[in-house]
Amino acid sequence: MASTKLYAAIYVVLFAFATLQVAVEELGFLGEAYWVAFGAIIVLSFLKALVVAGYYQHLRYEPRSLSYLILTGLLAALALTVAASYSIT
Amino acid sequence: MSWFTQLPEPTSLPVQNGIVPRGTMVEVFRQIYFVFLVLGTLVGIVVIGYMCYLAYQYRDAGRGDADGEGGEGGEDGEEVDRPTLGELPTGSGGGRKLFTSLALSAIIVISLIAWTYGTLLFVEGAPSQGEEDFEVDVTGYQFGWEFEYPNGHTTDGVLRVPQGERIDLTVTSRDVWHNFGIPRFKVKSDAIPGQTTESWFTASETGTFQAACYELCGAGHSAMNAEVIVMEPTAFEQWYANTSNTSANATGSGNATEAGANATNATTTGAPNGTTNATGGNSTGNALLGATTTRSA
Amino acid sequence: MTTDGQPMNDSTGDDEAKTTDDGSRRTDGRHTKADGGHATTDSEFATPSGAGTDTEDGHGLPPLGSVRRYLVTTNHKDVGVLYIVTALFFLIFGGVLALLMRLQLWTAGQGLLSAGAYNQAVSIHGLIMVFWFLSPFAFGFANYIVPLQIGAKDLAFPRLNALSYWLYAASGLLLGVSFFQGASFAGGWTMYAPLDLPMYTPEVGSTTAILALLLFVVSITVSSVNFLTTMHRMRAEGLTLRRLPLFTWTILLTVWMMLFAFAALLAALMILSSDRLLGTTYFSFTEGGSLLWAHLFWFFGHPEVYIVFFPALGVMAETFQTFTGRRLVGRKWFIASMVLVALQSFGVWMHHMFLTSINLQVKTLFMATTIGISLPFDLMVFSLIYTMIKGRIRFVTPFLFTFGALVLFIVGGITGVFLGAVVLDYEFRGTYWVVAHFHYVMVGGVTALIGGLYYWYPKITGKMYDEFLGKVHFAAYFVGFNLLYFPMFLAWETPRRVFDYPPGLTPWHQLATIGAFVLGASFLLMFYNLTASLFTGEEAGDNPWAYSTTAEWTVPSPPPLENFPGIPSYRSGSIDFLAEDERSAIGSGTAADGGELTDGGVATVSDQATDHAPGHERITDEGEGEDHASIWPLAIGVGAFVLLLGASGFQGASFPDGFAGTFYAGLTGIGALLTGGSLFGLTRERFTGPSGPFGESWPFDGIENVKTGVWIFLASDVVLFGAFIGSYVFIRVAQGWVGWEPVPHDPLPGLVNTYLLLTSSFSVVLAMVAAEKGSKRGVVASLGLTIALGIGFLLNKGIEWQELFHEGLLLSTNVRTSTFFLTTGLHALHVIAGLVIAIYMLTRATRGAYLEDERPIEYFGLYWHFVDIVWLFLFPLFYIL
Ligand code: HEM
Ligand SMILES: [Cu+2]
Ligand SMILES: [Cu+2]
Repeated sequence: MASTKLYAAIYVVLFAFATLQVAVEELGFLGEAYWVAFGAIIVLSFLKALVVAGYYQHLRYEPRSLSYLILTGLLAALALTVAASYSIT
Repeated sequence: MSWFTQLPEPTSLPVQNGIVPRGTMVEVFRQIYFVFLVLGTLVGIVVIGYMCYLAYQYRDAGRGDADGEGGEGGEDGEEVDRPTLGELPTGSGGGRKLFTSLALSAIIVISLIAWTYGTLLFVEGAPSQGEEDFEVDVTGYQFGWEFEYPNGHTTDGVLRVPQGERIDLTVTSRDVWHNFGIPRFKVKSDAIPGQTTESWFTASETGTFQAACYELCGAGHSAMNAEVIVMEPTAFEQWYANTSNTSANATGSGNATEAGANATNATTTGAPNGTTNATGGNSTGNALLGATTTRSA
Repeated sequence: MTTDGQPMNDSTGDDEAKTTDDGSRRTDGRHTKADGGHATTDSEFATPSGAGTDTEDGHGLPPLGSVRRYLVTTNHKDVGVLYIVTALFFLIFGGVLALLMRLQLWTAGQGLLSAGAYNQAVSIHGLIMVFWFLSPFAFGFANYIVPLQIGAKDLAFPRLNALSYWLYAASGLLLGVSFFQGASFAGGWTMYAPLDLPMYTPEVGSTTAILALLLFVVSITVSSVNFLTTMHRMRAEGLTLRRLPLFTWTILLTVWMMLFAFAALLAALMILSSDRLLGTTYFSFTEGGSLLWAHLFWFFGHPEVYIVFFPALGVMAETFQTFTGRRLVGRKWFIASMVLVALQSFGVWMHHMFLTSINLQVKTLFMATTIGISLPFDLMVFSLIYTMIKGRIRFVTPFLFTFGALVLFIVGGITGVFLGAVVLDYEFRGTYWVVAHFHYVMVGGVTALIGGLYYWYPKITGKMYDEFLGKVHFAAYFVGFNLLYFPMFLAWETPRRVFDYPPGLTPWHQLATIGAFVLGASFLLMFYNLTASLFTGEEAGDNPWAYSTTAEWTVPSPPPLENFPGIPSYRSGSIDFLAEDERSAIGSGTAADGGELTDGGVATVSDQATDHAPGHERITDEGEGEDHASIWPLAIGVGAFVLLLGASGFQGASFPDGFAGTFYAGLTGIGALLTGGSLFGLTRERFTGPSGPFGESWPFDGIENVKTGVWIFLASDVVLFGAFIGSYVFIRVAQGWVGWEPVPHDPLPGLVNTYLLLTSSFSVVLAMVAAEKGSKRGVVASLGLTIALGIGFLLNKGIEWQELFHEGLLLSTNVRTSTFFLTTGLHALHVIAGLVIAIYMLTRATRGAYLEDERPIEYFGLYWHFVDIVWLFLFPLFYIL
């Protein structure tokens, strides 16, 4: 498993990403190119989630089955969200 | 649309375009339902019959563990290998048979559905060009139905439509979820608050029919009916012209409801046809009827 | 929050045991293997009332047949019996409501029942049959049979199993009580919005019924986690997934579907309860509240259709094999079909919404998936049919029922294809065609389960039922069934849930009513038969059925408390019971399955390899002194009942004035105390469940039970939050995405909270590192920091909310504020639950816990990081975008 140093480095990255997300808004990108900024913010969230799950929850070092388990749940939720939202467009 | 022109009555069209059923909702339903019913019954009888045959053929009549008499299976006609207590579960062969049957049933099911899909597109499609449909807004509420005609005239509990005309319904609800359906004309559409749904029907006969609510909506659900009065086109024209008159004569636009109430009274008490006096339809009514008579153009 | 607390509790309670013995015990080398997590050397002494003093069964369990036993039992067989008996009670309850409806329908129009009463009967009948009867009935068998079939001594978390049962019982009682609070819920089992809101169903009883369903869903979630852990982790050696008996297979897939589907329903019901109790406006918002409910409900609802049907399919497969004396034809295709259906069941839900305003593209897509999902069923049906070929078919009662069930299912399936053709569905929707169709399918499933009841009755009771009466029961049942439901196809133009119909259809409805009474009467025969046979039936022996294969028939009827005479193993290709010492040799015996299998083949090896990691070193202390009794599950059930009964009086964010208000408020308080207290009691209790090593654990080899359970729970929580976020997205799309202003004017408090949570996640990691290094100070400091940060998060949120409230932005203000407060509120509840666990752990840690075994910290961390991750999405969604 990872060392304390790595954990700390990850912490710093997470901190920075969160700040970045707000920066995107505060700097007015959302106003200018909403969907680009939207994409950037969401991607940042996913990256953070991946890092937390991969290292803090050490999924990287666990059998893959656990990752698939969670991904299945995520997929179900996404299917619901996307299909339901699409159905009313 | 060339085949359209020769035909006097739009509702009695021989409704085939190739093999995809078209026509009024009633005709479409009748044809598809018929085919499904025949095939479904057939499949059901064959499958259940086969089950019962097997059950009889291989019943345990105390014959010992020898093969069933018929021994129809080719591959393993010899000794039958019986399961034993505590064994690791396994299956027996027969995958080929299984997939043949699956393929057969898949062909039936998929072709049936594909066949009806053409009709779905037709049913969902916009009315063919050149046709002017008669549009009615339907609003459900606890516990009744309100109908609004193109001229703004509204009625409550009674829907009047001309015979032979395609009627487009736009359905919504004022409170909870309802569902507006006229069983005789095989039309049904959800009435959802905040949403509108669309459907249509063509009434091929005159008379009085019932519309009902098909979604549980509260204590009055069972009695949430409306009357659908199908009138001769000319009689309808007269009645309709009159309603728009009353709406127009009333004090401006706000009074549609009152006019509606009047109309409702008139129609529920008197005979629908001809009692209202046609003092010259206004332009809306004429346009509409013009459309009716020229729809085959 | 019971569900997430639980898996942890088992291990934290264990730590308590260690510390009270001042920790020195840890060094005596008598550790238990990591499997099972909480099994410790203390277990021999752990029984509350002294092992073996008052019973033949030992381990503090009162004797079989005493009422007291069933109040405290955690044994899977007892719990199974409880489930079966309770479910049959609900069958009668739901059945009586159905008979009332059929009497009303004898003639068209008003009759016996008032319109409101009829609607209640329709709604509660549906709810009871689908939720409180069908699944629990199947899960009675699952509880009893599955551990036997997979070679486990019990479920992974026996107390949680008992808890599931008691929550189920409490929820059922709550549903019954709802009739006495004005009126029960009358909006149909589909509970369409906005009819399900207090504006249209204002009675307190409606709220109670919805809360009862909520509690039921909690029960299901707990048992899903439990079953999945058990079935994946605790199979006998050689019993790889592909080799599982078919009944167990169907239950496995059922539980997987439950885990995800019920999470969506949980979200729907939480939102609904919040709309009813707190006044949020999700389902009343005009642009799509109704549709939102329909989506959430049917996303759950269609998998639910298979959830109730799969166990029946499993019973059919088992009994077809036994009573034809043939192995299932195309077994692996049968299994593959079921897996396919289980996956696909999450992609067909909109076929229940064909008449709504959803667009044509989506309709087309869902029409295609619906047809696709019907094909695997064809294969399964043919597979069952072909299994009869060359059989020696014996028409005893269980087979008669399952054979009949297959016939009914075929009719139900064919009529389902009619509904799959959208054009026909346009007409059939909302009519008795649908009613007839789903009764043929679902009650067809019940038919198979009744067969299962006869099939396993001798195993469960040790007595044989009366065969002649059984056959008469079947005859009456089958005739009654078809007399009841077939005329509904003929009278299909009758609108559903309506007691008025065209007079021409009267004969059909009268036939149906007659059929209903025949069907009902046939059950009287069954109850008589099964009760009388308890006393007068012949001894059944271990295995009354020729050609049965599964392991439950290899043990006595009823099986002893510990199930098996030794450790079950399929190493030789069929079941053997190994002595304790033979077990250790297993590690290398992986070829038992003939080498053709990829799953589980290396299970034991890797299991041991992982568990021998430093700090996890344990030796086997197999099975001695497992506990079987705990009063806390019952206590929690009682607490939850009182709590929710109290909460039902809450409306529009406050209790009503006057006596009723005080009464309900009081109940809520008492219930909260009871629930909290008993949860605490459960945590403090020393309890030893089944411990490993287990034979096959694919795909969770080397991830011990508690950890597996935590992850499975988190997966369902992903769906719960996913459904909340999905609702938010749906609402935003309905209102036009970009026109939406975030509720907080300033993302700063949210950003601060993001920092706080991220830091707290980091400090949990530090706590684990400290525990690994054996630094008590480190553990205490890091846990303390985590708690402080968590509290800081809540305080910051509290201040933020307070300010918003002051501006007049309340939960009920509009749908924007509703989604904001409710979604982030659900997250805050998760934080609070985490804090409670963390504080509990901190007190342990100050006394030196976790230094030898840091796993509880690790598991807490998994949960805490998950809560962190959720926030990482909620923050941008609700504060920035
Ligand atoms: C596995 C067994 C099945 C069960 C337990 C089952 C159960 C149900 C239930 C409960 C409903 C009622 C929904 C409502 O409350 O409106 C329903 C409706 C429906 N079923 Fe099935 N069904 C099964 C198989 C099938 C099959 C094989 C098909 C199609 C090929 C099918 C297609 C449909 C459709 C399209 C509806 C919607 C009808 C409507 O509400 O308009 N079902 N089914
Ligand atoms: Cu209604
Ligand atoms: Cu469905």
